[in-house]
Amino acid sequence: MKAMLRKECKLAALPLTYFFLAFGFMALVPGYPILLSAFFVCLGLFQTFQTAREANDLLYTVLLPIRKADAVKSRYLFCAMIELAAFALAAICTLVRMTALKDAAAYRSNALMNANLVYLGFLLLIYGCFNAVFVRGFFKSGGGLLKPFLLFGLLAFLIVGVGEALHFIPALSAANAFGFDHIGLQAACLAAGVCLFALLTALAEKSAEQAFEKVDL
Amino acid sequence: MSIVQIEGLCKNYPSFTLDRVSFSLEAGRIAGFIGRNGAGKTTTIKAMLNLIHPNAGEIRFFDLPLIGNEAQIKQRIGYSTGAVNYYPKKPIKEIVAVTKTFYPTWSDADYKTYAELFELDENKCPRELSEGMKVKFNLLLALAHGAEILILDEPTSGLDPFARDELLDVFGELKARGVAVLFSTHITSDLEKCADDIIYISRGRIVAALPKAEFTAQFGRDDETLEETILRLEKEGRAK
Repeated sequence: MKAMLRKECKLAALPLTYFFLAFGFMALVPGYPILLSAFFVCLGLFQTFQTAREANDLLYTVLLPIRKADAVKSRYLFCAMIELAAFALAAICTLVRMTALKDAAAYRSNALMNANLVYLGFLLLIYGCFNAVFVRGFFKSGGGLLKPFLLFGLLAFLIVGVGEALHFIPALSAANAFGFDHIGLQAACLAAGVCLFALLTALAEKSAEQAFEKVDL
Repeated sequence: MSIVQIEGLCKNYPSFTLDRVSFSLEAGRIAGFIGRNGAGKTTTIKAMLNLIHPNAGEIRFFDLPLIGNEAQIKQRIGYSTGAVNYYPKKPIKEIVAVTKTFYPTWSDADYKTYAELFELDENKCPRELSEGMKVKFNLLLALAHGAEILILDEPTSGLDPFARDELLDVFGELKARGVAVLFSTHITSDLEKCADDIIYISRGRIVAALPKAEFTAQFGRDDETLEETILRLEKEGRAK
């Protein structure tokens, strides 16, 4: 699998995908729907899928001395690696906002989603959906891009909408807490995000392996 | 020793059926897989590489069934097609650096020898290579990992006569090293020069899979060349 991951990084990956990791810094932008950063990171991954397809990456890969399922596993690993790197960057920025910048006027007057642990949980949910909807759809269709990405896009914008609307419901206003206020609720939301990301990714990967095995290339 | 054995291979598509394809190939033999466009050559080769799923039949390499031994078998085979261009914008040396990590049998010395023989500039990208050089590059990858059988889908298509001639000479060298070569083609003159065996497929069915001399004796007439024989067989088949 090490050789496969190396192949993903050296041959399949588009440099743009790595540049798009910088969208993790969007957690620091005030007055902006910061959950969209996850969509942009996924857009960067999409570019890799598109370029790799044009470079006949799938055919090259399945002709290597590997099982067909390994091609799926390595692409999932690559996606998770990029997603978790972007998440780590967003987590660092979020911690800065929760501590040193907790009382900054620009953030205090922010009408949109605040960067806190709830935000991080939502980021992971979007990444999990990308793996479950787009990546699985790509392998299931033997390299189809448009339909899986449109479906993911719709779902991602729905999640962003829900995330942004949540704190306007009086009973859920704590979801937009500053700093370490309501830390129990924040931590629970992050934990839910971690579980959903892990579950969606693991189940989708297995399902994609089985679906790809049946595809004629 | 039988390198590959195919028995009763069937694949059904809405407009085409590969019908009980069977043949085998021995070590150190060059087999020309001939048939007109759409006869089933590429479908057969795709099934041999586990790219498509046959509806029936069995494929065995080195006496092992392909299904269940895919990774192990692919260590010992090489594949090339004239039509596909992998990573056209990546320098060849980068593609090679990654590819070699998959093959424990990879030989840098063999790679260098063949790269010099083929005059391949590894700083170039595949998109900068001529059609002939693309085929040679794929051959180079297969040879450097010590493939015991080369499966080549239309390797001579799109090549000028000089490049084709060079490539056929390379097949001869491989044969001398004990490598089996299966190459599909619709250019019958390629077979005259280097094929030991003829596998002739027409409309999804194997018409004959025989040593070239036996094929000529069984199907040829008077002073017919191999090309004329196959053209006649094809016309007769169409007329039926």
